[in-house]
Amino acid sequence: MAGKAKRADVLAASEDLRRRTLPQTSGPLDRMIYLASMRDYNTGLYVHQGLAARFSVEVACEALADCHRESFRELISLELKDLTEQLNLYMQSTGTAKDDFLRTWRELEPYRVAVPVGTDSLVAQFLFSNLKIALAILEHQSARFPEPTPVA
Amino acid sequence: MTQLVTFLAIAVGLLVLLLVAMRRQPAHAAGSAGELVSAKKTLESLQLGLLPSELVEQLFGQRDLAYVEAMGSTAIRNLFLSERKHLALTWIRQVRRQVRALKDFHVSRSRMFTQMSRGKEFSLALDFASLEIQCDVLLFLLRWGGPYAAPDFARRIAATAGRVCSTLDQSLAFLTASISPSLASESEADGTFE
Repeated sequence: MAGKAKRADVLAASEDLRRRTLPQTSGPLDRMIYLASMRDYNTGLYVHQGLAARFSVEVACEALADCHRESFRELISLELKDLTEQLNLYMQSTGTAKDDFLRTWRELEPYRVAVPVGTDSLVAQFLFSNLKIALAILEHQSARFPEPTPVA
Repeated sequence: MTQLVTFLAIAVGLLVLLLVAMRRQPAHAAGSAGELVSAKKTLESLQLGLLPSELVEQLFGQRDLAYVEAMGSTAIRNLFLSERKHLALTWIRQVRRQVRALKDFHVSRSRMFTQMSRGKEFSLALDFASLEIQCDVLLFLLRWGGPYAAPDFARRIAATAGRVCSTLDQSLAFLTASISPSLASESEADGTFE
């Protein structure tokens, strides 16, 4: 009975996240990275003060984990073309210079720490591989159509 | 002629071995709970991780390849093909390993827990044998022909493996409701199945 009540709370908290916070992200890639950033590196638990104040620390943690898995599944289902578009949107949303972003992502591969815990290793590899190719495509496009340098 | 005789002798030998294996009675109803839970997890890993048709389609379907080819860059095309080849090889290796683990489990343990008909047992044995051969053939084709060497063959392997999983899933259905979290975590700790 208590389990069911808790599950209902988690669903309500997830809904709250989807309604208030997640619409501000630019797409599933942005969402996955945002939700991964809510996760403590040492404990693997998700922390969100606002959500925890409205529900509970535990419920907020599970709701964030649910939304994280959901955004990951969304990303995995995208074709390479759409994933490349998502990466482009995310890059623009960060406000970082294109070349800096592409170089940093190619060298650091920050997406590797952004997948939910318990993800099947092959499915995770599939996403990493597609992101690597998407980066190469954006670099290729960037080289063909360089951004105009601002005139002083 | 000699080849035909050799082939027939091997076929008869295999059939005899199969019949002997089918007639064998279980010596004792052993089998630790941990092994059963591991088998269930291997099944889940195959059914939810490796065999879903969406994943198989993404790995072996050609829509992404068409997109990459439209870029007109040899470097990107080569990168894409190399990445997909690596993934396809990893996929087939994992499928083969897990199918083998399920076969070993089935041969050694699950017959003690199920009342499987001889017909079903025979069909399962054939599926296991053909899957192992097909996995080896696909591995060879992918190594030499690249990720798009035999997409229909890969889909067929996934379908056969899915059928095997579903048969075994039914025979392990009694576990679904009874796996306690403590047992599951204990199995994770010492699980050697995957």
